[in-house]
Amino acid sequence: MYPRPVPETAHASRRLYMTLVGAILIVWLAPLFAVILTSFRSMADVMSGNLWGWPTEIAVVENYTAVFTQTPMARYFLNSLVITIPSVVGVLILSTLAGFVLARYRFPGNMLIFALFVGGNFLPHQIMMIPVRDLMVRLNLYDTTTALIIFHVAFQTGFATLFMRNFIAALPDELFQAARAEGATPFQTLIHVVVPLVRPALAALAILLFTFIWNDYFWAVVLTVSDDVKPVTAGLANLRGEWVSAWNLISAGTIIVAVPPVVMFFLMQKHFIAGLTMGAVKG
Amino acid sequence: MTSLWRRHRWWLTPTLLILPGAVLFAVVILASSVQSLWISLHDWDGFGPMVWIGLGNYRELMDDPQFYVSLKNNVIWLVMFMLAPPIGLAIALLVNQKIKGMRLVKSMFFIPLVLASVAVGVVFTWVYTPEFGLLALIFRAFGANAPALLSDEHFVTFAIVVAALWSQIAFCMVLYLAGLNNLSEELIGAGRVDGARGWNMLRHIVLPQLTQVTFIAIAVTVVGALRSFDMISVMTRGGPFGSSSVLAYQMFEQSIFSYRFGYGAAIASVLFVIMAVFITWYLTRIIRAEERGA
Amino acid sequence: MTFNRIERSLSRRTFLKGTAAVSAALSGFPIPAIAQSSEVTIISAESNANTAEVLRRIAADFQKAAGTKVVVNNMDHEADKTAIRNYLVAGAPDVCFWFSGNRMRAFVTRGLFDDISDVFEKEKYADVLGATAGSVTVDGKQYGLPTGGTLWGMFYRKDVFDEHGLTAPASWEEFLAFGEKCKSANLTPVAMGTKDLWPAAGWFDQMNLRINGLDKHFALMNGEMAYTDETLKPVFDHWEELIKQGFFTPDHTSFGWQEAGAFLAQKRAGMMNLGAFVRAAFPQQDLPQLTFAPFPVIDDGLGRYEEFSLNSVHIPANAKNKSGAREFLTHFYKPENLAAYLEPGGNVPPRNDLPASKDPLVNAAVESLKAVAGTSQFYDRDTDPDMAQAGLVGFQEFMARPERRDAILQRLEGTRRRIFKL
Repeated sequence: MYPRPVPETAHASRRLYMTLVGAILIVWLAPLFAVILTSFRSMADVMSGNLWGWPTEIAVVENYTAVFTQTPMARYFLNSLVITIPSVVGVLILSTLAGFVLARYRFPGNMLIFALFVGGNFLPHQIMMIPVRDLMVRLNLYDTTTALIIFHVAFQTGFATLFMRNFIAALPDELFQAARAEGATPFQTLIHVVVPLVRPALAALAILLFTFIWNDYFWAVVLTVSDDVKPVTAGLANLRGEWVSAWNLISAGTIIVAVPPVVMFFLMQKHFIAGLTMGAVKG
Repeated sequence: MTSLWRRHRWWLTPTLLILPGAVLFAVVILASSVQSLWISLHDWDGFGPMVWIGLGNYRELMDDPQFYVSLKNNVIWLVMFMLAPPIGLAIALLVNQKIKGMRLVKSMFFIPLVLASVAVGVVFTWVYTPEFGLLALIFRAFGANAPALLSDEHFVTFAIVVAALWSQIAFCMVLYLAGLNNLSEELIGAGRVDGARGWNMLRHIVLPQLTQVTFIAIAVTVVGALRSFDMISVMTRGGPFGSSSVLAYQMFEQSIFSYRFGYGAAIASVLFVIMAVFITWYLTRIIRAEERGA
Repeated sequence: MTFNRIERSLSRRTFLKGTAAVSAALSGFPIPAIAQSSEVTIISAESNANTAEVLRRIAADFQKAAGTKVVVNNMDHEADKTAIRNYLVAGAPDVCFWFSGNRMRAFVTRGLFDDISDVFEKEKYADVLGATAGSVTVDGKQYGLPTGGTLWGMFYRKDVFDEHGLTAPASWEEFLAFGEKCKSANLTPVAMGTKDLWPAAGWFDQMNLRINGLDKHFALMNGEMAYTDETLKPVFDHWEELIKQGFFTPDHTSFGWQEAGAFLAQKRAGMMNLGAFVRAAFPQQDLPQLTFAPFPVIDDGLGRYEEFSLNSVHIPANAKNKSGAREFLTHFYKPENLAAYLEPGGNVPPRNDLPASKDPLVNAAVESLKAVAGTSQFYDRDTDPDMAQAGLVGFQEFMARPERRDAILQRLEGTRRRIFKL
């Protein structure tokens, strides 16, 4: 192990080490703590400029209630779910199919298709902005959640296919040979051999995709305008325009935007990290 | 019909399976990108007729001072973002210990990674706010007045990059932690026997084993730097007077606020070319690795 | 420009939208409105929730009376400015709200707004509208109805003025003296927040109107005058004088107009150039203190020209139910309905036959407008939108770095030449 472990017997050094790490952690997360604290502050404190002193009263319930009842944040939150969940499901299906084919079938152009998926995934979003926006207008989908779902599914399929292809390629060959020997069709192989084995990969991918899509801001701004469609990220930016100095409410709104990915992360931490590092560690 | 299907299904099924993903990706992502290159050769306000002007937009770009400001800021982003892999590695080394409570500490360090960049932008806008912000508070503790970073044309980009680094460092740290878990105990042990310690150990024994991780970390950092848009949009909208804009934001501003879709597409195309250099480098490495593996 | 957005913050704070949120949630996917001929669809962009509510009520009344289904889609104010370019072409509503003057003309010349001169004639609107009719007229034809206006001026707190013995400056000398007095009382003479760019352009408009008058201002707006023209030199000279003497909020690029408005409300600044919507930055109990004076006179020889932004309502050329839309407009434009619509936002009525408002600021604006020789709307409404974007950034930069004046004006001149194809 590197660096050399602090010996288990050296209790004092262990405690000292943890104190040091804890101190660094507090500095690291200071901006976040500040926002959380502010979201507890009452309007009176904010108005009188008491942003860093001890709060004169805890207004956590009032602030979060206000965000949900006096701003369209609840609606934005729902929109985000309506956009994110179908997108994730869509990407998982398409990328499993495409990844399976790219991993298990040799055909001319296999590498080219793979390279296009990978390369397209790195494109700057702005290069597609105008045509995608135009496409959605022509399909009469501009300013609908469907437009965002279509875009996210299309774009994330690039990354997800790379991911699934690598995972399926690493599955033992014998399984596929056995399936072929038994006369299984490609579709049967997919359903009975691949799908049961890629579940961990799907879990890892799902949490990653959830985070990516939930956190998207650019396409939310480009493809939506009305409150009935806007996801939380664009909604938060809107909120800031309206509630300029109401720091406590903006902070509460920020926390609401941040919570779902953080919760997902803590629930599925193993999968998340496995997903992120799969490419890196595979070598 | 059935026999036709039977005879051809060995290639028909795979084709049908890959088709939905490939078509969607090709139409929405790849075709759109190519179409942007085409639009960049026109004068177009987004809803009137498109007027062919050849390289006119690019010629104008060459004379546009804002373009150079954006380009310069893109370079600042790229250079400063390169701090993310080493700092990420440092934190990873710090927390790579099996002590009670360390697991939770690690998770806490990861948090900025999953935060929406919009949220990070809001958080840091506030940190930088003159008079009320966290930074102002710290400065006041030392009896000084904090500069209004976000309205200073010289500091503004650096201030935004620092905010963006927060999550990028967390990203690199995750990658390195996974890498550290896969180190060869034998090599480390052998190094210890040879008396390698601290920096020497890191430099000659650990880092060589982390090459692949470093490659990925640099790749995601480059992409992250060139993609910077959200934070700028949220924190300054390119201001004051365009001094914190980058190509991605300038493109958005020209298209959406000035209704200059052709010019916007030209800016996006330049960004695309810069990115293409990187993508080519990345792809050749990946494909070479694939071929070696296969 | 966002000056309608403001009141949203005020009203949202006091007005629970619970029911609206629930019904919106139940409606699920927004389905593009497929208008049948018996239906009138309206797109509005009210940022004031109370105004939007009144509009819905007016629509419901109309639905009951005429038996025509009315659908109101209220969009985000800023977003509507880009979305309208899409929906006027593909999927137009039957009625939409927009800005009169140059911004309307851009769509009229593209044939996207319907000629409603027939409604004007039938309802004899010309008689009640007076000068404001000009803002919706292109080549003698009317393409919309003016809804309500914002008169710009120098807003201040009466109690602050009393406390420090200040008076609203009427001339340039008085203005300079006013600034000195403010500074010695530890007040910023003029609250300014240029983070959203446009407030700086508002200041430019006021100075140019006072120094060069309306005709020359419009020559510049229409791209007929160079930004490097000598005529503009005194405008920037005067402006620079103010900047150098510290008239404006320091670090103004860090603040939105709401934050700058808060400086005024918190008695930390003397005056602020804005519309009556500055009230959004004031706590309810301080509102009676708020009042305004016209921008000081600089050249006695010029008529009094003011900035007066007028919103409007239109029928898109691609609307499916134009006769229904006409009926709705006539209903909406009845004095009692228009008055109800204008009340929450405190906008100035375009018709001269509305009952006096309960809002003293509105009545003061109406009075003030009577003495006005001519009006412009606002920099980003009067000039080409592409030019406006460049100009807004340029003016912000000038306020922060006045020494770069020549470079900025050269740049704007280059933009003007490109846009107006010179």
